[in-house]
Amino acid sequence: MSLLAQLKILVVDDTTTSRLLLRDALETIGFRNISVAANGEEAMKMMTTSPCHFIISDMNMPKMDGLQLLKAVRTHKVFARTPFMILTGNADRNVLEEGRKLGLNNYLNKPFTPEDLKKALEAVVGRLQ
Amino acid sequence: MILKGRPDRIHVIQGDCIVTDDASVTLTTVLGSCVAACMRDPVLGIGGMNHFLLPGDGENSERNEAERFGVYLMELLVNGLLKRGARRDKLEAKLFGGARTMQGVTDVGAKNIEFARRFLDTEAIACLGGSVGGDQGRRLEYQPSTGRARQFLLPSTAVAQVSTPRPVPARAESGTLELF
Repeated sequence: MSLLAQLKILVVDDTTTSRLLLRDALETIGFRNISVAANGEEAMKMMTTSPCHFIISDMNMPKMDGLQLLKAVRTHKVFARTPFMILTGNADRNVLEEGRKLGLNNYLNKPFTPEDLKKALEAVVGRLQ
Repeated sequence: MILKGRPDRIHVIQGDCIVTDDASVTLTTVLGSCVAACMRDPVLGIGGMNHFLLPGDGENSERNEAERFGVYLMELLVNGLLKRGARRDKLEAKLFGGARTMQGVTDVGAKNIEFARRFLDTEAIACLGGSVGGDQGRRLEYQPSTGRARQFLLPSTAVAQVSTPRPVPARAESGTLELF
């Protein structure tokens, strides 16, 4: 079984259609263990009960956006080192710089192809190996 | 793109999305098989418009690839409104365009309409109406502050015909103004 297929991945996006498409892209790449959350708060609850190996989060979400979720993850005593990638429709350099300071592993601009997503994920997984 | 001399009118080109909270602004576009989603929060009186054409012919093998682009533009519209304080549960939309502008080939307009309707349905965003389908292009004006939309049907003689050309009679409805 490939490394990607063994990874448990958490997708966080408030747009249902985006979640469905992202899940489809991840399955195309080879992921089989995919959980989804509709916002940052829900993601934190899911992480508490069932930690994952990788988080892919949308940037703009109500309640807790991508950066706020990243900060919450990075300050958590259990899963602070979980790789985190942000998806964004309009990459603001200042926002991404803030994310980098918080420990963001990678980001990907929308819209993207499964191949773009795979490259972005493998870049992070490679660095972690 | 802002038209010179008419700062109160913003033209939304294909692949673009404009959101505004300026009550004096009218958003305009011209649609063939493309679809424009007009969306607003009626409580705050802010709104916007996107203009998309899913790439490809919409066949299943390409469907998800094409829809990623459509979802991207719909997300830009929704997120642009939410950033300005709109409430997701208050959002309401109108859809325009999706005409079958070329006879004899895949009905791309229908694929765009189907996608837009499914997106709104999936995201539980109320669709108040609009005008989609047909075989005529549209010139559209939308006032986000009021939600009022005006549509001018374009003469179908301006539409490409790739199948056997058929006589085009003078159409009384060409250039018709409709309010939504």
